[in-house]
Amino acid sequence: MASRVLIVLLAALVGVHAGGRTLVLLDNLAIKESHSVFFKSLADRGFDLTFKTADDSSLALIKYGEFLFEHLIIFAPSVEEFGGNLDTSALTEFIDGGGNILVAASSEIGEPIRELASECGVEFDEEKTAVIDHLNYDLADEGQHTLIVADPENLIDVKNIVGTKRDAPILFRGVGMVADTDNPLVLDVLTGSSTSYSFYPDEKVSEYPHAVGKNTLLVAALQARNNARVVFTGSLELFSDQFFTAAVQKAIAGAQKHDKSGNEAFALALSRWVFKEEGVLRGGVVKHHRKGEQEPPTAYTVMEEVVYSIVIEQLVNGKWVPFDANDVQLEFVRIDPFVRTTMQRKGGKFVAEFKLPDVYGVFQYRVDYNRLGYTHLFSTTQVSVRPFTHTQYERFIAAAYPYYASAFSMMFGLFVFSLVFLHHREDTKEKTE
Amino acid sequence: MAGESNIRTALSNPAGWQSLLSFSILALAYLAAFSSRLFAVIRFESIIHEFDPWFNYRSTHHLVNYGFYNFLNWFDERAWYPLGRIVGGTVYPGLMVTAGTIHWLLNSLHITVHIRDVCVFLAPTFSGLTSIATYLLTKELWSQGAGLLAACFIAIVPGYISRSVAGSYDNEGIAIFALLFTYFLWVKSVKTGSIFWAGCTALAYFYMVSAWGGYVYIINLIPLHVFVLLLMGRFSYRIFVAYCAFFILGLLLSMQIPFVGFQPIRTSEHMASAGVFALLIAYGFLKYLHTHLSSLTKSEMRSLFFFAVAASAAAVLMAVVYLTYAGYVAPWSGRFYSLYDTGYAKIHIPIIASVSEHQPTTWVSFFFDLHVLVCTFPAGVWFCIKKINDERVFIVLYAISASYFAGVMVRLMLTLTPVVCILSAIAFSNVLERYLVDDTPKVHHIEDESEDDEEGDKRNKSKDLYDKVTKTAGKVRKIRHEPSGEPESLGGNVKTIVVMAVMMILMMFAVHCTWVTSNAYSSPSVVLASYNHDGSRNILDDFREAYYWLRQNTDDHSRVMSWWDYGYQIAGMANRTTLVDNNTWNNSHIALVGKAMSSNETRAYEIMKALDVDYVLVIFGGVIGYSGDDINKFLWMVRIAEGEHPKEIREGDYFTPQGEFRVDKAGSKTLLNCLMYKLCYYRFGEMQLDFRTPPGFDRTRNVEIGNKDISFQHLEEAYTTEHWLVRIYKVKKQDNRVRLDHTVRKTDIKPKTKFTSRKSGKRKRGFIKNKMLIKKGKRPSSKNKKPSRKTSSKK
Repeated sequence: MASRVLIVLLAALVGVHAGGRTLVLLDNLAIKESHSVFFKSLADRGFDLTFKTADDSSLALIKYGEFLFEHLIIFAPSVEEFGGNLDTSALTEFIDGGGNILVAASSEIGEPIRELASECGVEFDEEKTAVIDHLNYDLADEGQHTLIVADPENLIDVKNIVGTKRDAPILFRGVGMVADTDNPLVLDVLTGSSTSYSFYPDEKVSEYPHAVGKNTLLVAALQARNNARVVFTGSLELFSDQFFTAAVQKAIAGAQKHDKSGNEAFALALSRWVFKEEGVLRGGVVKHHRKGEQEPPTAYTVMEEVVYSIVIEQLVNGKWVPFDANDVQLEFVRIDPFVRTTMQRKGGKFVAEFKLPDVYGVFQYRVDYNRLGYTHLFSTTQVSVRPFTHTQYERFIAAAYPYYASAFSMMFGLFVFSLVFLHHREDTKEKTE
Repeated sequence: MAGESNIRTALSNPAGWQSLLSFSILALAYLAAFSSRLFAVIRFESIIHEFDPWFNYRSTHHLVNYGFYNFLNWFDERAWYPLGRIVGGTVYPGLMVTAGTIHWLLNSLHITVHIRDVCVFLAPTFSGLTSIATYLLTKELWSQGAGLLAACFIAIVPGYISRSVAGSYDNEGIAIFALLFTYFLWVKSVKTGSIFWAGCTALAYFYMVSAWGGYVYIINLIPLHVFVLLLMGRFSYRIFVAYCAFFILGLLLSMQIPFVGFQPIRTSEHMASAGVFALLIAYGFLKYLHTHLSSLTKSEMRSLFFFAVAASAAAVLMAVVYLTYAGYVAPWSGRFYSLYDTGYAKIHIPIIASVSEHQPTTWVSFFFDLHVLVCTFPAGVWFCIKKINDERVFIVLYAISASYFAGVMVRLMLTLTPVVCILSAIAFSNVLERYLVDDTPKVHHIEDESEDDEEGDKRNKSKDLYDKVTKTAGKVRKIRHEPSGEPESLGGNVKTIVVMAVMMILMMFAVHCTWVTSNAYSSPSVVLASYNHDGSRNILDDFREAYYWLRQNTDDHSRVMSWWDYGYQIAGMANRTTLVDNNTWNNSHIALVGKAMSSNETRAYEIMKALDVDYVLVIFGGVIGYSGDDINKFLWMVRIAEGEHPKEIREGDYFTPQGEFRVDKAGSKTLLNCLMYKLCYYRFGEMQLDFRTPPGFDRTRNVEIGNKDISFQHLEEAYTTEHWLVRIYKVKKQDNRVRLDHTVRKTDIKPKTKFTSRKSGKRKRGFIKNKMLIKKGKRPSSKNKKPSRKTSSKK
């Protein structure tokens, strides 16, 4: 045990970017064999996998206030109670601490998984239900029409999450989900077709099904506000070797036959996304200053030309490289944005130049880059914009020349008048007297 | 006081002892004015009081540290987040500059004084100067004796002390001095008709403009005086010179204050002065024509003259009306309009009406603040009217207008107080003059026991002095105030009784003043004091406790949301960014805070997020029974918010159907769930103050609160002071995840596996429903048996 801890520690020290420590929770260890392709691919990509059954009494995610794992795979749909110190609150804490979770359920789904999902804004259907589609089921289906053939066009159109190769349909057998459409964080990665619904396969439909049509989610993903990623799939078999290699053909006449299902490509792409190998951005050094200067002033003055730059990097194969995009925008905000401009890429930096508005106040430079499949990049820098000081106003304005003229003519007039007054008064006095 | 022999020798040189006496009386009045304002400093400490003074102190500090120009251009990014405030352009800088100058002067003399002490003692110092200015003014108006009495009155009168105790470092502290000094100089310039005095008036007026928004009162009262003099047919070239010089210089000078700027030529409040100026010029011109047109008869002349003046007055009025209508001149602002129509502010500008000192004055407070003076003051007015002259017209107008304004607004009691002191002094001095005069004329017997006594005598001497002044003024004064035609032969006993009675009244006045000053006006309001049954004092220092907590425990740039009353204190004591403060320049921003306070938590959170709020601070008096807390101010927040957001906030929602504002169970649902209520009463339901009352009993409103089950989603309690007076909450960041807003669906179409936890302290194993079992020697067949441990294959 001690040696293993050492290895884990070493792995943590040596290969920080290489995958990361991952705990895999299983219903039983047979799953390790039946899903070997998936796990092997993870191991090849540098993940340090630790397999445990979900009821293992030594389960723990935190030790001495530190997370023991970066990622967690829960391939234990039927768990009713996690072993050790693991429970829903420990899992949510793990998410809030930045850990990523891949959850696969099945029709045997237990309460902890449902609870975890509801904590993340996803609602699994009940135990023993399954997604049923009477039109889009595979030839190999056993008669309950639960072996779904999910068309690639039902995938979310984000290549970071689902990969680029998506021509073959995806085999799915398991429980369905729904998510609140108002929830801004949950992504519908794979939905059922419009003819699908979720119910007990062996019961008469007596109640309105939990999910119907496109609302039925087969795979859902959450990217939390701290950029932790959680993926819920209703089907554990989706990741199995069997489904990876199975041929797919819809059980309707004239359906196209695919020799290999799209499961492998999809599952691997999904795992790349959920374990932060894809679509990870970070904001780097932020610089802002007046045009032609280098250092930021203590306060800007209204209507100055300013330059703002931010370094944005993307994680590609474990290395941070400059991010390439042309849609990164900068906002200059005081409650509402006063300036919104698209930044230009210049040598690994995104740069914007603009003129400050004629409004004083406390503003924020704000880069809020929120794109599907990417981590949420949010950078805000507070600056003050002050009005002109008393010396910065224009001194001689054209409109005031009449007043200057009148002032000076008055002064001159007074001078002349007093001269005249002084010299004539005595004369007149003498005359009158 | 001087000894008998001293007086005897002084009698030979009356002017000498008179000036010595008046000097010593004035010095004593100064001392009394200064020292009677020190109660708060002696009882508590040298600390700035109230709310506004904290800002004044903070900006003075800035002025002293960074110099005048930096102060003038100071952009305060810590106030009115995120709008900021240009302090230099939105403040009357007179107070800060005065304190800064004194500080600089003392320090350059190597008397090292902290700027705080300068600020604390500025108001008492200027109160002493006020009493001298009052003396000067009264002396010009009536006599030296009355002046001395007035100086003594104003030194101790509570109506003035209320705004000028040590530590109340506010504009009014120096503005009353500036006001009276300006009036003195105006009266002087009217009497002399010299440009010099008019120029001095303009300078004093400039100081007043730099010190207080109440300068508008001067710039309306002086034109009114001139106008009334014109109406009374008392036009003279003295007035013409005095007013024209004062108006032009004053106008130019007042426009030099950045906060005032172009207002003197762009707003209706200042139009009266311009109109009177135009009228006076027209009048002077017609008068000039008058001397040259001798062809007409006198009656024709008079009617023509009258007609011309009326026409020019009408033209001036029309011009002002036209300019206002055309938009060149701003109409009367709400603040001034509310002086005319007391109900106006309540409907249209709740933010003005919400301030307690803007409420109409009660009769009690007249007596409380002025005591016997308020009774004798009409007598003084009567004396002045009876013996009217140019400058007494002025004081009568001052008296009438100030009493009107004081009746409308508690705060304006302050402007009434000086004139009450002056006119009462005139009344008293008249009475004493009558009754202290010895029956045997020519021999002035002086009793050296009482000072009033001496004044009475002095007055007899000072008649000549007064007359001299009138002669230099170049106008024949028919009115003499000496009681020459009245019967002199009153019985000695009657005189003694009257004098005794007057003395008694004055003594009671002094006692009352001391009592009021000590009990009502000398608490710093930042520190509260309560008294136990045995008379020992309990200091409640919750405000400073909370502000220092903020100062020590929060990020330097955190933003604190509170009602505007506490903005200056938070900025001054906690040094944190505030959203709104006592400089209520932006009504809509205040309304936004009011809306946040009166909405439910979710909507309030949206507003707070938009405004980047980090902490929320509320004042809650329910534990100690402090009535000035936020729940009692809450309706104003609602009203102000309603003014800007009438669709979201409705005042009626916060009342019970019977129209009551109640915080107990019968209160309206909206009220019981709004943010302010929750912030104030969070965890209060668990608190039992004593055994006679139920838990959650609010001592301020004497009810048991209606909502004891308060929990927060987006906020958390950060700090609550010892007596719960100040409660600070931290605004949480947005939730990391968004939970389902409902519980997950549970149907009973199919029976579920029942599961009860079997975990215990020792047994940490979980449970998997469909655990695969491996039984040795058997093929795995059935599921759902007793789970057995499967060893990890990794080892």
